[in-house]
Amino acid sequence: MKKVKGLFLILYVVALTACNSNDDGVQAGIEIPGITITDDADCCSAEEALNTYNFLQTVQLVPELTTEIDGKYNVYVYTKTGGFHTGYNDIYFVSTKKETGNYIKDLTVTSNSPLMYMSKMNMYHSTPVSDKSRIVNYDYLAVKRVWVSFLMNTSENGSWTYSYEVDVLGKTGGMEKKDIVVSALPDGQVWLKSFKVGDDTFFLSLVNPTDWKTGTNNIKAYVSKKSNPITTPYALATETFTVDIDPRMPDMGNHTSPNNTPLIKQEDGSYQGSINLTMTGRWRIHLTVKDAQGNVVAGGDDLSDGFSSLFWEVTI
Amino acid sequence: MLTVLLCTIFLSDTVTTEKVQSLDEVVIVSETGRGRKRSVKGQVASIDEHLSELKNVSLVRRGSYAWEPVVNNMQTERLSTTIDGMKIFYACTDKMDPVTSYVESGNLQSISLNSGLDGNPQATGNIGGSLDLKLRKVGFDNDPFHTSLSVGHEWNGHLQVYGADAALSSHRTYLNVGAFYRHADNYKVGGGEELQFSQFQKVNVFTNAGLRLAKKDMLEATLIFDRATDVGYPALNMDVAKAEGLITSLSYKHLFPKASWETKVYYNHITHEMDDTKRPDVAIHMDMPGDSWTAGIYSLLMTALKQHDLSLNYDLYYNRLFADMTMYPGGAAPMYMVTWPDVGTLNTGVALTDNISIFRNQSLRLSAKVAWQHQKLNNEEGYHALKVFFPGMTDAYHQTTARFAANYQFSILNSQFSIGTGWGSRAPTVTEAYGYYLNNTFDQYDYIGNPSLKNESAVELNGTAKFSTLNSQLSIEGNVFLFSNYIIGHFETRLSPMTVDAEGVKVYGNISHATIANVSLSWNWQITEHLQWNKKVSYSSGRDADGDPLPLISPISWQSEWIYQYQRFQAQATIKGNARQSNYGEKYGETAAKAWTIMNLSAQYQFKVQSSKFIVRAGVENLFDKQYATYADWNHIPQKGRNIYLNLTLTL
Repeated sequence: MKKVKGLFLILYVVALTACNSNDDGVQAGIEIPGITITDDADCCSAEEALNTYNFLQTVQLVPELTTEIDGKYNVYVYTKTGGFHTGYNDIYFVSTKKETGNYIKDLTVTSNSPLMYMSKMNMYHSTPVSDKSRIVNYDYLAVKRVWVSFLMNTSENGSWTYSYEVDVLGKTGGMEKKDIVVSALPDGQVWLKSFKVGDDTFFLSLVNPTDWKTGTNNIKAYVSKKSNPITTPYALATETFTVDIDPRMPDMGNHTSPNNTPLIKQEDGSYQGSINLTMTGRWRIHLTVKDAQGNVVAGGDDLSDGFSSLFWEVTI
Repeated sequence: MLTVLLCTIFLSDTVTTEKVQSLDEVVIVSETGRGRKRSVKGQVASIDEHLSELKNVSLVRRGSYAWEPVVNNMQTERLSTTIDGMKIFYACTDKMDPVTSYVESGNLQSISLNSGLDGNPQATGNIGGSLDLKLRKVGFDNDPFHTSLSVGHEWNGHLQVYGADAALSSHRTYLNVGAFYRHADNYKVGGGEELQFSQFQKVNVFTNAGLRLAKKDMLEATLIFDRATDVGYPALNMDVAKAEGLITSLSYKHLFPKASWETKVYYNHITHEMDDTKRPDVAIHMDMPGDSWTAGIYSLLMTALKQHDLSLNYDLYYNRLFADMTMYPGGAAPMYMVTWPDVGTLNTGVALTDNISIFRNQSLRLSAKVAWQHQKLNNEEGYHALKVFFPGMTDAYHQTTARFAANYQFSILNSQFSIGTGWGSRAPTVTEAYGYYLNNTFDQYDYIGNPSLKNESAVELNGTAKFSTLNSQLSIEGNVFLFSNYIIGHFETRLSPMTVDAEGVKVYGNISHATIANVSLSWNWQITEHLQWNKKVSYSSGRDADGDPLPLISPISWQSEWIYQYQRFQAQATIKGNARQSNYGEKYGETAAKAWTIMNLSAQYQFKVQSSKFIVRAGVENLFDKQYATYADWNHIPQKGRNIYLNLTLTL
């Protein structure tokens, strides 16, 4: 029965692709829900708009951060889940013209300022953020990305607000101290760790663990430095470090994988290396931070299990 | 002819040799004189017990079920096993299911073994030898109706065996059907202690059918369904919940005046599910299923031309092997890995065999095969995981293998001599090339396959000499295999094991050369008309490139048996044993097996009641209830203690 179904499916697919190949010759007008394509030079072409639209289908709107500027433009904020969690979060900004709904290419995020209020201690602090907004991809120039790496989740101990400022076609707008909720990551996921060198506190934000699969993966991280005052968003550290990684599976007798390469600072300020994961499950990535001279400045110590006490945790 | 190379054991009580007149199927006749080899337990014996009757064969035992045949001290990876010429591959990454476990004695007419590089036409990669399990087919123009029942019981472990089969035959059609059931509880080792997790249960049904389309054209079909459940493996950390095999084939045969031509298409599927839920103290519960699919075709032309007996075979098969493992640590996320990355192997080859009679007292046998195969790793996740260890690997490989063997035989007066030589190569197995963290409980290492392995090859030299007098026969046989690029696990201290408590990781690699040699001496003495005394002693040696012993090589083994036969009664007493394993593969994690000696007694009696023929067999194995383990008992699990058995076969 299954096979018969499979055969029908194949026929169906063949039929479909047959139709599609017929259509290929004709550049039918692109229709995007809610968007009227005009010759407006500020906005996306039909193709750019479609790419942008498709990208936005892969992320979720954060409704409380939507605003408008000058009564003419809308500003929308997206994240992967429509919310925030502890550790590294990508935040995407898009602006549209109200009349056409089309995306505006000239958008810059000029301020990206999370702030936590610690109710018990009655104090405020910020958290690591990206230095400036970047385009996500040349295929959708209208989307701008920043990131925030939240130190902790919203709880009875503290709450978060988020402020941002954007520049759309020369007009400035944004939001001021909007309450947001930062949820905790599930067990087995710890993507942000800190270490101290002298009086300075640094933060290690792991960027891309959700992309990882069994096999060889690119590993990307940022090293940020605590600001003074601490209410200023924490910028990337100007110091240069090297971070050795040692992935281990605590549930498998600290099984490890070979040929991992250390995180090395790149021109764009990020740290990149490669990590090999031999299976899915919970991995602890034990870290050893070295300064530019190669001296170990953090981690690299041996806990009772023989591994560095400084580690991220990832479950794939 | 060539009895030295080919020996066959017959399983069926009524050996239905197909009529030879038309080259329909030539049964390879084995031992001359009194009787072909068969197990003292008759048809009720397990496949494994039948296999152990074969020359040069020993069995690696991980429990009471599904033993792994070893020929000339070489295991599965250096052997070919076919079922009536059909390729079939096991589905368990831990070798819990050698393919011989997916048939039942009652399915078979015989098992034939070609020692060394001279394989049966469908065999590829057979350096140590090739086994072909010949299915039971009543054939055309045989007795119109025939049925048999067998029942067996063994007291140790309460093994029960029930089997029933029937055969119909006419000029135009024939049909065999049968059903078999085996069940065993834990057995007791010598001394009376029960060995936990040594139980098993198995059901098997089969049918073979033939239809004559025209005078010289016939169709034959086979269907075997075999299912073992609740199989314990006391030597391993896991048991098996289910091991299921479906074996099907359809063949077309045409007879020419002096030739026969058979073309068979076949398909088989094996599903294997390991199970650790019944074990106490399991650190991490694991699911480890495996699947093997094989579809193939072969076309065999056999002809006799003057003094030549020729066979030409073309075969092609496609096999897919997939296995994965999911581990469930308490509370944390499950861990998953692909252990066999859905490897598709397309293999095709041509084989030619020629038996040439030269004068009356000399003969020459030549056989050769060339095969080419292409492998593709179809599972992305498994491929990327392996790539961690072999960054330069690709997802497709191909290999060419070949074998060639020649054997010359001559007899003078009362003596027979033969010498033979051969060269052959094999491609690495899926486990050796692409296996991923396969834990081997033999040496407690995790094994990782190596996609860059070279083909292994060997030169074989063999010889026999037989001297006969009026009532006795002395024979000396020997063979030596000189390997190049011998494949074995290499220590890889840079890698960390996956299995908790494993000693470390080994990666398969080639060693430049290795040698395996076997020699045996046997003496059969017909003392009186009714009494025969057979003795046999064998010695084997296996050495790696450094001259160190290879693992799983038999120590000196010996056997002495007395057979008394009077009319329809036969009794047999056997004493057999092994010397201490002095040359054991210490380097490869093997520990020495101790010396042992046991005695077995058996008797059988045949009688007729009206037209029904009864055979009663009874015996005692390990009469003195010795506790012992052979070198091939995985992790030295002890063999059965004293075991009394009784079985009955009734033929209507």
